[in-house]
Amino acid sequence: MPTSSSNLSPLCQLPAGGKARVCKLTGDESFCQRVREMGFGEAALVTKISGTSTSLCLVNGTRIALNHRAAMNILVELLPGNAC
Amino acid sequence: MNLPSHITPPPRRRPATASNRTPIYAIVGNPNCGKTTLFNALTGLRQKVGNYPGVTVEKKIGTTWSQHGLPIQIIDLPGAYSLAARSPDEAVLRDVLLGRRDDTPQPDRIICVVDAANLERNLYLVHQILDLGRPLIIALNMMDMAVGAGVKVDAAELENELGIPVIPCEAVRGRGLVELKLAMSRSELPLARHRWDVPAPVAPAVAELQAALTESDQRSPLIARAEALLLLTDFDTVRVAGSKPLSNRTHAILAGWRQRWTSEGTDWSAALIRTRYAAIGHLCRNVLRRPALQGPSLSDRIDAVLCHSVWGWAVFGVIMAALFFSIFSLAEAPMDFIDGRVAALAAWVKATMSPGDLRDLLTDGVIGGVGGVLIFLPQILILFFFVGLLESTGYMARAAFIMDRPMSKVGLNGRSFIPLLGSYACAIPGIMATRTIENAKDRLVTILVAPLMSCSARLPVYLLMIATLLPGDRLAATTKAGLMILMYALGTGGVFFFAWLFKRTIVRSTPQDMIMELPAYQPPRFKEIFRHMIERGWLFLKNAGTIILAISIVLWALTTYPKHPDPAATPTEQIAHSFAGQAGHLIEPVIKPLGFDWRIGIGLITSFAAREVFVSSMGVIFGVEGADDDTTPLRDALRHARWPAGAPLFTPLVCIVLMVYYVFAMQCMSTVAVVKRETNSWRWPLFQIFYMTGTAWLVCFVLYQTGRALGY
Repeated sequence: MPTSSSNLSPLCQLPAGGKARVCKLTGDESFCQRVREMGFGEAALVTKISGTSTSLCLVNGTRIALNHRAAMNILVELLPGNAC
Repeated sequence: MNLPSHITPPPRRRPATASNRTPIYAIVGNPNCGKTTLFNALTGLRQKVGNYPGVTVEKKIGTTWSQHGLPIQIIDLPGAYSLAARSPDEAVLRDVLLGRRDDTPQPDRIICVVDAANLERNLYLVHQILDLGRPLIIALNMMDMAVGAGVKVDAAELENELGIPVIPCEAVRGRGLVELKLAMSRSELPLARHRWDVPAPVAPAVAELQAALTESDQRSPLIARAEALLLLTDFDTVRVAGSKPLSNRTHAILAGWRQRWTSEGTDWSAALIRTRYAAIGHLCRNVLRRPALQGPSLSDRIDAVLCHSVWGWAVFGVIMAALFFSIFSLAEAPMDFIDGRVAALAAWVKATMSPGDLRDLLTDGVIGGVGGVLIFLPQILILFFFVGLLESTGYMARAAFIMDRPMSKVGLNGRSFIPLLGSYACAIPGIMATRTIENAKDRLVTILVAPLMSCSARLPVYLLMIATLLPGDRLAATTKAGLMILMYALGTGGVFFFAWLFKRTIVRSTPQDMIMELPAYQPPRFKEIFRHMIERGWLFLKNAGTIILAISIVLWALTTYPKHPDPAATPTEQIAHSFAGQAGHLIEPVIKPLGFDWRIGIGLITSFAAREVFVSSMGVIFGVEGADDDTTPLRDALRHARWPAGAPLFTPLVCIVLMVYYVFAMQCMSTVAVVKRETNSWRWPLFQIFYMTGTAWLVCFVLYQTGRALGY
């Protein structure tokens, strides 16, 4: 089901421990492709482990670190039942 | 019975391995999947093993033997998440597999190493490689870690689905290697049952590109299809030296389709990746079982502390301080031992041989020169032990994560920190590790500043100067370690300053996105660490036994000849009269404002070969002066060195200025050669010599003159 853009927030704003679904990738094509190839594409489920300026996330059992700029380009939808 | 060719199905072509030729296997896989460990286990070749992304920066070739005793050649290729290259490292992998390189034969067979705990993500690369239609073996590595994470992988089912050998293994413990070798020894390997539907909007482009690649670029049909799929997701089309260019026809078709899709708004790249992952998901439906509820793992709990915005920095600081403290405290006893043995050997030679040039050559040139460098072996081993420990446990990648924020302030990202941290050991592997940096400008800036990190070759110079500055045991190791940390901090500060400066002037570019995988924490693999230490120690000894020995002999000759016309000349007069003395005198006007005399000048000239040669040069120069007493430590000889007017040469200020000079100056021929190779131009290494040595002179001039003005 399509998600309204107003419900989306950048990954960097996801609180530690929060779970979300990747909905949209922005940024240049090369970045979007690499993120998708690492299994971080649209519909991937992500858990934020820690970080604000640099984010540490868990995607499909893999820990992935992203800098602030990269995390700003990944728009996620917060899943219900999260600690915010 | 022979049937007409038109009713005979074409044979399933498989790259033939001529019986008289050694078959070539390529080992490929994602970063951190244990590929290099498996390569070592199979070949016995010694190679650096770490678990941060991009440890394998070069193509490595080794040999193993089949079950029948026949040789098998193995190429260890760089780790990559995809064949769509984003860095020179990944471009090498892609080009070797596609047969685009003239310098490397196209592998007959491929071993895909897969991290069982991250199966789906790892199968993305496997899926692309299956497109190549080459015989393939999947090594399902890290099975123990998958079990620990509650992930169940049915290797037999995966083998059944794909129709190719799938071997569960644990490369670290050597488990599964026999089965893998058995599979590798098979004369025929089945080709994979690999079917997936290219997205409909992309299919006509793939067909057209495949035709162009087959007809104009002389690719086999299967390789052409795989390459066509790659070209559609290869935005930057990273080319590296040795990569064959594509034909104009292929370029024109590619450009035409891209233009068309862009105008239509078709996201062809996303569609291709989505379709591949859908095919992988389908493949894994009966292969992979994940636990329904996954609590935080041990690595997650450790990361909560080590990657914390406050605690992370505290731990990072403690680790760095422990490293430098250990270099001093733990190395003391073995250094004293080596010092004693070297002195005893020189005394024995002196007592055994009759006086003359040959005896002086052996004692002052060979033993004094090489022995003066050998003494630093324990410290270098300790440094490499710590670097190996950080890599082996997975902390190195966390250090990059922690350092991303400060690195971003100067326009780089955390990915640049791994090569820089490696440069603490040696700038050469550090510069080579920059191949994993995707952005060309970030890579260039990292190469330009990496030699400012204080490498292990500077250690002997620092240690000698600190020993001269703070002789004896009057001061605690902490004070000496503090001085050492100061020098390392100065070099690191220089890295940040010049990176900031270059990103705003000569190599302008926008900050880049950083996304990197952090491997799970692992207990340190001491066997690998010690193997790496021995390798580095052996390299150091080899260097001491070849380059440093040669330089020591040459230097001894330059300080001994021509002989002073007066046979009663003092050693100081003799060395002043020698060729080396003349060269030192020539540059003395340039270095005198820094507090250095012509003898230090000789050291600066000779240590351009390698920084640690400065110590052996001082040993030879001052050994001549103090040849009557071989057992006098070099530091004492330096402390007694005088200017002609009688003032001490190595004052505390000069010792500090000399250390600062070595922090900034570009004093390493090997680094210059590697920078030339990596940037493919003389422009950047020459610029590096100019800016680094210029900075060294300027900083030392200000420091020395200010110190003098303040009465030091």
